[in-house]
Amino acid sequence: MPFVSESNSAAIEALERRIDRLRGELRRAATAGDRTHARALRAELRRAEHAWDDALADLEDRSTPVPAPDRKAPPMLSIREQVHHALTLLGVPAAPKLIIAVHDAFFPGELVAARLTSLRRDEERSFKVAPFGRPYYLCPALTADLLSPARGLLAISTWPLEVRVVGPLSARVDFLTGAIRIAQRVAQLPPDAHDARRLLWRFAASIPGATGEVDPGTVADQAQAELDVHLDADAADRAAAAGRARDRLDGAEALFGARLHKLRSRTAN
Amino acid sequence: MDALVDRLDRIRGTVAPRNHNARTIAALTSNPGCGRRGLMDAAGVNKGAVAGHLGFPAGFGQSRFAIARGNAFEAQVKADGAAELLQLLRERLGLAIPEVAYDDLSNVGGNASREVRYARTKSLLARAAGERDDAGTLFDHPMLRLDIAGYYAYLEPDLIAFRVGGRFHVVEIKSFAVIDGQADAGKAAAAARQSAVYVMAMRELLGELGHPPETVSHDVVLVCPENFANRPTATLVDVRKQLSVLQRQLSRLTRLDEIIDALPSGLSFDLAYDTDHLPTRPADELRKAVSTIDARYSPDCLGTCEMAFFCRDESAGSTAAMGRTVRDDLGGVESIGTVLGLARGTLTPGAGQEEIAGLLRFAHRLRTECLEGTA
Repeated sequence: MPFVSESNSAAIEALERRIDRLRGELRRAATAGDRTHARALRAELRRAEHAWDDALADLEDRSTPVPAPDRKAPPMLSIREQVHHALTLLGVPAAPKLIIAVHDAFFPGELVAARLTSLRRDEERSFKVAPFGRPYYLCPALTADLLSPARGLLAISTWPLEVRVVGPLSARVDFLTGAIRIAQRVAQLPPDAHDARRLLWRFAASIPGATGEVDPGTVADQAQAELDVHLDADAADRAAAAGRARDRLDGAEALFGARLHKLRSRTAN
Repeated sequence: MDALVDRLDRIRGTVAPRNHNARTIAALTSNPGCGRRGLMDAAGVNKGAVAGHLGFPAGFGQSRFAIARGNAFEAQVKADGAAELLQLLRERLGLAIPEVAYDDLSNVGGNASREVRYARTKSLLARAAGERDDAGTLFDHPMLRLDIAGYYAYLEPDLIAFRVGGRFHVVEIKSFAVIDGQADAGKAAAAARQSAVYVMAMRELLGELGHPPETVSHDVVLVCPENFANRPTATLVDVRKQLSVLQRQLSRLTRLDEIIDALPSGLSFDLAYDTDHLPTRPADELRKAVSTIDARYSPDCLGTCEMAFFCRDESAGSTAAMGRTVRDDLGGVESIGTVLGLARGTLTPGAGQEEIAGLLRFAHRLRTECLEGTA
């Protein structure tokens, strides 16, 4: 077969040369005012162009189809499962950016950032249609003071309330906890897991005593050292807030948070 | 004071006053001698719309690429409980390890209205200023306000005010690079002016709560990308000078009585919008109204004031329009026509103009000689 297509492409090239030559002759005839010759040339040119079209169609038919560009296979898991995996690894509420970074470092496939934005709303809607119809929901973390959804922090509904509420110290505590969890996971990976190590390095840059450190053990130790400073105060905050949440929130609110205007209308009634 | 506010309301017309932000308040301090700008800003007139109606629209505003870049850098610095920022503050300012509390004030329980956020900011800062140990360190997007000529301007430091050694510091995050320890002078100065506005608003808020102004440090923490990478670096900037300029300027704003008393009583810059939000005020009438107040145009105005193109056109032919240095060099000579006349010797110098006339004639002679020499 390749022989045929080769001879075919040679024929096409010959045709192209002929078309070029005919065009030149036609132009010269037209400038010279030789109308009969020009007409004959024009007809010949048209025939050559038709032949070129046919030859090309022929070539297309014969050529073996090039495999379509290697598109990434669609992820096997749904986006909520991907987020669930990343959050479970971290073990603490996290911002979408961090979730994506963790997913890219440790899990195969691609997590599309744009789809994360609607995720929370979809989860809440799904819960309202069929409460507790799914084994878990992705819900916002709750602020410790108002028990309202915290801006840009995702959590898993099956986590205890003490993990899902965030107080003023929780951002740091969760960051350090996440760093330890990632360090533990990186320690189990082969040394060429560069994405995961780069993520750990990013965490280490903001931990005193671990800046520039790549050894998972050291990073975890230093993170734990700082964590010990904050942990008691934060745990007390969170426990108190969780207690309040248990008393005051029910159903959807316990998962997706209370809104300020709702509280107001309730007190007004 | 109420009479003044009434009068300013009439000057502005039927529309709501324009909201000030740190940028516009900082801009008030440039060219303080301009009465036109002072009055229009105090009254909250939409200068862009007025200039546009007069036929001198100004292409003002920040580029959206610049805004996007600024937001991205801010998000990076504040990500994960402001992890990068904490590290910087620990290194540069010796922030203690336990000081990590982070409060997000950008909305309160899903409610993002300015009043609610202001109230919440106030209660949190009151608690922090009360020297309680667990009272918070970083405050993300607090809402402050400043009284500008009878109206509250709400200000949102795009940053955090934090506590180190019992004092609050304003942190300003900017996306222009500090290369080899040097930043663009103009941008750094603008950032310092804006930060001074925040410092002032913070001091006002804490003053209301009975704390001395020194509770808010005059040293502002400026966070910028370092060199050509995206890594943040922090610099302390002393804004005492900007603060005093700002204070003087704002106190002038509230003492507008004298300027206003000298104006015709029916003066108004109302554009008389119809129901389709189209201005119906005749442009000539508006031009007359605007021209009753003296402006002091200088080329710097082009960068800070929406009326600049109108004022430049108005002051064409005067020496002031060529900038401060030219005006100072040609002291006492008002118009460019006179300058040329004196130089060519077609005008006789008036009293006090002899010296400058001599200089001008000398300069003219040199120029003619040079030109003849090359010809």
